[in-house]
Amino acid sequence: MVGIFDFAPAIVLLPFVSFLVALAVGDRLPKGGALAGIAATAGSLLLAAATFLTVAGGRTYDATIYTWAEGIEAVDLTFGILIDPLSAMMLLIVTLIAFLVHVFSLGYMNDEGEVGLPRYYAGLGLFTASMLGFVVADNLLMAFMFFELVGLCSYLLIGFWFREPGPPSAAKKAFLVTRFGDYFFLVGVVAVFATFGTAAFSGSESFPVLAEAALHGEATVNTFGFAPQTWFTIVGLLVLGGVVGKSAQFPLHTWLPDAMEGPTPVSALIHAATMVAAGVYLVARMYGFYALSPDALAIIALIGGFTALFAATMGVVKREIKQVLAYSTISQYGYMMLALGGGGYVAATFHLMTHAFFKALLFLGAGSVIIAMHHNEDMWDMGGLKEKMPVTYYAFLSGSLALAGIFPFSGFWSKDEVLYETLIHGLGGSPVLLAAYAMGLLAVFFTGFYTFRMVFLTFHGEPRTQTASDPHSVRWNVKGPLAVLGVLAATTGLVNMVPVEKLLGIGGIDFLHQWLDMSTESLNAHHYGELIPYSSAYIGGEATTVAIGAGVSLGLALAGAGLAHLLYNVPEPVEHTDRLGGIKTLLYNNYYQDEYQVWLANGVTRPVARVANKFDQGVVDGVVNGVSSVSLFSGSRVRRIQTGVVSNYAVLLTLGLTALLLAFGLLGGWFV
Amino acid sequence: MVPPQYYLLLSAALFCIGLFGILTRRNALLFLMSVELMLNAANINLVAFSNVWGNVTGQTFGLFMMALAAAEVAIGIGIILVLYRNFDDVDVTKATTMRW
Repeated sequence: MVGIFDFAPAIVLLPFVSFLVALAVGDRLPKGGALAGIAATAGSLLLAAATFLTVAGGRTYDATIYTWAEGIEAVDLTFGILIDPLSAMMLLIVTLIAFLVHVFSLGYMNDEGEVGLPRYYAGLGLFTASMLGFVVADNLLMAFMFFELVGLCSYLLIGFWFREPGPPSAAKKAFLVTRFGDYFFLVGVVAVFATFGTAAFSGSESFPVLAEAALHGEATVNTFGFAPQTWFTIVGLLVLGGVVGKSAQFPLHTWLPDAMEGPTPVSALIHAATMVAAGVYLVARMYGFYALSPDALAIIALIGGFTALFAATMGVVKREIKQVLAYSTISQYGYMMLALGGGGYVAATFHLMTHAFFKALLFLGAGSVIIAMHHNEDMWDMGGLKEKMPVTYYAFLSGSLALAGIFPFSGFWSKDEVLYETLIHGLGGSPVLLAAYAMGLLAVFFTGFYTFRMVFLTFHGEPRTQTASDPHSVRWNVKGPLAVLGVLAATTGLVNMVPVEKLLGIGGIDFLHQWLDMSTESLNAHHYGELIPYSSAYIGGEATTVAIGAGVSLGLALAGAGLAHLLYNVPEPVEHTDRLGGIKTLLYNNYYQDEYQVWLANGVTRPVARVANKFDQGVVDGVVNGVSSVSLFSGSRVRRIQTGVVSNYAVLLTLGLTALLLAFGLLGGWFV
Repeated sequence: MVPPQYYLLLSAALFCIGLFGILTRRNALLFLMSVELMLNAANINLVAFSNVWGNVTGQTFGLFMMALAAAEVAIGIGIILVLYRNFDDVDVTKATTMRW
């Protein structure tokens, strides 16, 4: 039967075709290949929507498409497609945002007269295709390959303006920092193969299922002499290395703020739907494996909580609008990691979804502002843009309310669920989670503050420069995507109103929970709920805990927003950050993380490399060179017997014969 | 009948004369003659042992070797001619271009 799932590969291939088209004939097409990209992503979007509806009918799909290395008495290496509720939802998000970003690019790149557009659209197409391939991957190795492709595309796109000094260096940084994490991921992939003999995500022979069976003593796997529990934690943490790099978690977050050097639509794509989301998605994809390891979960939660707070504090003092958004991205992905580590699989997925919408919205909104400001990104040069660009303002406001977590915008619901899940599992006897929860909660305040500082500085008050009082106008291709995302950012929270359900007792409105429960036996949210090593406890009753949790986080967000209102929502705002004194310098320099990493490279890695180089040059090469110089020297001496005089050769022959005869005679006993 | 030791002594003496010629002379023609002496020393051996054992195989090989020596001389003379053309001499110690 030909079903919609037979077209699933096309979702990935369409953007890839647009990549080829834009690369090959982009300069001969109108709009520099943009239309091919828009058509391809629109097609992918439609197919993804159809797939989504089919999955909603209760069907999932897992098939091997192509075996590219057949193992003889060993594992086969394959490309396959796995479509379950999680990947169907992600497909829809990625294709939608990629489509909107393509449309927005018409306004941001084409209308601004950029050159090199075919290269840009080829990059966008390949980026989208890689991410979609990653989303549908049905085994860890395929996921790794597309993970790497995503990294490559981010390199190409961040360094799009390669003639300026900043972007190429930022691109290299993004590539190298994420590569550093990916080394661990690669080792983890090999470890998974070596341990389980398979890297499939789903099915009864998948590695999470085998790992679970091994823990219960029902299956034996090769754990290299470790206890299964310990070994699974080690493997999980190795894979987590790649996640930390891609999802910009502490300590590998430093590439992300620099990645703002790329074109703004690319930033939107990277931050909302593709590159950064890949890390969190990977953990969600193999959550059945992570849920088996309490230590790995605790580490994920701690990293996430710490990153959420750490990045939020840095966002408070930034001057450029995109820098603030960059730190908010790091912080929000910290929340997703916190949720995953805290046993809130659905909460993390929920936040991944809402964040994708509101962060894409905020970046595109920032892009619109940047067009209006003639590519000046300094918020202190803006002000008063509210009246000049109402569509952008209201869309941006919707995204900001969602980001800050203000009721009833989408971010409130998802962030609240993240914190709620962490809280109840922390109360259930896990102090580590409570610590992570406290950091996440504190970050809510900072989020509210920096978000509204950004909004007030950009849109409110009096224009502070000539450009701000007479901004460049934007067209439909900018306003359209903003309007769509603005509505989504305001409303997507409605798909999962757990607090309302718990407080008012209305059953059945936690649609996302039901959705993620529909997956196959080993991949659904219910199964993960049983696997996680946490128990739940409540303050008072369940409803009370929900109310307290939501109330506290909303209160903190409002307090942050209110402080920003007091300080910055005035006609002539001034830089209050100077009052922070030394802390401002510390924050403005990102806690000297870059300097610290440069020091690590110069102070530690380089001496180690130097010693290794000495060893290589001295000992390894020394042995090789020694052997060869012995041959060379002896050769240069021995060749002197080749005199060219025939008589000398005759002498040598005679002497040789004589020696031979003497030897025969002595050994043969002729002279006895 | 002459005992075989005499043949062997004659043959060894002839061989050593040829060897002496090769080791001490510089003229290529004398080289050629010395080689002929050594070949014929071997020939004497063959014929002598053929006689001792009463078997004609050795003598047959003696004939073969004469033919072979004739062919060798033809080639040798040719080489000497070329040598003379290239070096204007038949002194073998002058033709030392083929060395390290």
